[in-house]
Amino acid sequence: MKRRKFLYNAGATAMVSTLSAPKILRAQSAEEFHIAAILSFSGPYGLIGNDMRKGAELAVAERGGMVLGKPVRFSWEDDETKPQPAVQKATRLLSEGAHMMFGAVSSASTLALQSLSTQRKVPHLITISADDAITKRDGPPYSFRTSNTLGMEVKMTMEFVKKRGLKKIYAVTADYQATRSALEEFSAMAKEAGVEIVGNDYAPLGNRDFSVIIDKMAKSDADGIVVVATGNDGITFVKQAGQVELGKDRVIFGPVLQDDIFAAATGPAALGVNSGVRYHYSLDNPTNNAFVKGYQDTHDALPSAFAGEAYDGLRWWLDVVDKTGSWDVDAWTEAFANSVYEDSVEGRKEMRACDHQASQVGLWGEVVKGEASMPELTMKITDIFPADRLFSSC
Amino acid sequence: MSTIIIGLSLSFLLFLLSAGLTLIFGMLGVINFAHGALYMLGAYVSFQVVQTTGSFWMGLLIAPLIVAAFGALIEMAALKRVYSRDHIFQLLLTFGLILVIDDATKLIWGLDYKQVPTPALLTAPIKLFGSHIPAYRLFVIAFGAAVSLALFLILDRSKWGMIIRAASSDPDMARTLGIDVNRVRTGVFALGSLLAALGGAITAPLVPIELGMGFSVIIDCFVVVIIGGLGNIRGAIFASLLLGMTRAIGYTYATEWVELMTFVLLIGTLMFRPAGLFSTKGRAA
Repeated sequence: MKRRKFLYNAGATAMVSTLSAPKILRAQSAEEFHIAAILSFSGPYGLIGNDMRKGAELAVAERGGMVLGKPVRFSWEDDETKPQPAVQKATRLLSEGAHMMFGAVSSASTLALQSLSTQRKVPHLITISADDAITKRDGPPYSFRTSNTLGMEVKMTMEFVKKRGLKKIYAVTADYQATRSALEEFSAMAKEAGVEIVGNDYAPLGNRDFSVIIDKMAKSDADGIVVVATGNDGITFVKQAGQVELGKDRVIFGPVLQDDIFAAATGPAALGVNSGVRYHYSLDNPTNNAFVKGYQDTHDALPSAFAGEAYDGLRWWLDVVDKTGSWDVDAWTEAFANSVYEDSVEGRKEMRACDHQASQVGLWGEVVKGEASMPELTMKITDIFPADRLFSSC
Repeated sequence: MSTIIIGLSLSFLLFLLSAGLTLIFGMLGVINFAHGALYMLGAYVSFQVVQTTGSFWMGLLIAPLIVAAFGALIEMAALKRVYSRDHIFQLLLTFGLILVIDDATKLIWGLDYKQVPTPALLTAPIKLFGSHIPAYRLFVIAFGAAVSLALFLILDRSKWGMIIRAASSDPDMARTLGIDVNRVRTGVFALGSLLAALGGAITAPLVPIELGMGFSVIIDCFVVVIIGGLGNIRGAIFASLLLGMTRAIGYTYATEWVELMTFVLLIGTLMFRPAGLFSTKGRAA
């Protein structure tokens, strides 16, 4: 029995040592801080990945390209907006000794990377995917999201409905899980607020023709049209709604319906459309002003929401890692889980230890004509909702 | 009644998108996977022409001609080498073309969305049967009807159509009669590419122009072609009407069932008329 126990203990010790070896080896031999950046550079979200890269590179460049006294190295990989390549490429980079993962763009890829992060005990920073399932109480221990959740955007949408005094809403919803949940949440809040949902149509994801749905909306007595869709679906809807002047006597809005990029793709039909905004270059605070200037100097363009969120999240994370003065992954995650970011580009952000979601203000805006050096169509931030109205306590 | 008008606009858009695919299959026997990429290219070129000239109509005229010339080049440089080979070579070749066209488009126009505004003449909606119908949709119906009639007359009633059908059904016999079959094939592929680009140019004011737009239409195109009968222009017209009307009625009364209804039609056709509703041996138009 004693021999068996000795062998069992020896085996267990050996296994534990082997499992933790990569972390120790990585800590001892790090000549650089290696970031595995898994983003979409092709496929439907290719544009987003490219902008995120620009924001992330600027965050690193601003600190002299160093963290913990070592140079930062990115490995950029394209997940083609699909979970499988995301996991394959991230796995390869982790086996090469990457210290953290950054990405992905689509929520499906991000959720897949979260499993890998938990399995390999590698920190994972998310700055754009919005699915509420990404940050949940006692969720993946090494994953953190510094950007908006779809849930907070839905709450902003209801705040907007109340503010505008809308009483009857017709909804159109892209037919997939996250947007269906968002509509359910919105409908529950509407009921509570005494707002009637007079109709809803689920349109297939990637729908190219909303004409029949728009005709039904035009014939309804709704005073507001909520579009629970984004990207191509949102742009196509607003473009086609513009052809029958639907927005003339009804308010068109949505949690993630428009930003400067989508407005440019929509054209004049976007004018007057209201939407939640992830980040906007026009926010007037010293950090954001410096970021916008740096971005313009480097890229000769205003930063998009994707670039802004990537810059902000990575800047926060690297600051916290640097302050730990340690190469211990657990020290980083512990410090980040309890950190407060006073000078974010969007004002104060606070990481919630319970679900690893950044509590932050919510931006709401309307598409207007740009002035001077602004884009032809741009978002005008009309409301900034405080965090306590958008996040429930843990 | 407004549902029927909207249904007609959906139908003729579907027809414009799928006509080139069915033409190329019917006349050349090639399943052109790159059809969606040519459609996308048509939209991008149309955007470029509109940017340069400020006229949607110039885009609608010039973009299909440019893409038709490009299609002719593809046929002469690559496709003609695989006519005699197994279908798998044609599939691989046209699939490779998608990658080439996509990457070239990305290099030329970048990743940003592009947009073509609705032409000024057609911006105001028109009130018909209690609905506000976009004037542009009415134009799409008229334009689609004109294109389908023209195609039918060219392929079924003209001397050119007779030559094309002869070169398609018995190329050796056509050669002995002095027909330059190679040139006919190049012309047919160019015409198919022109139709794909026409679809792209006419859809441009309705949707955002972006790199993935070709993938999103190709499934619809194949559904139309399979229901109508591979290579059958009449069948494509009928299938487009059937599908467009099904969608218009579906979106009016049972939105969530529209996709299901589309594929029920497809499966039903494959089960009971596997060669398509309009398949008639020997008829291509």
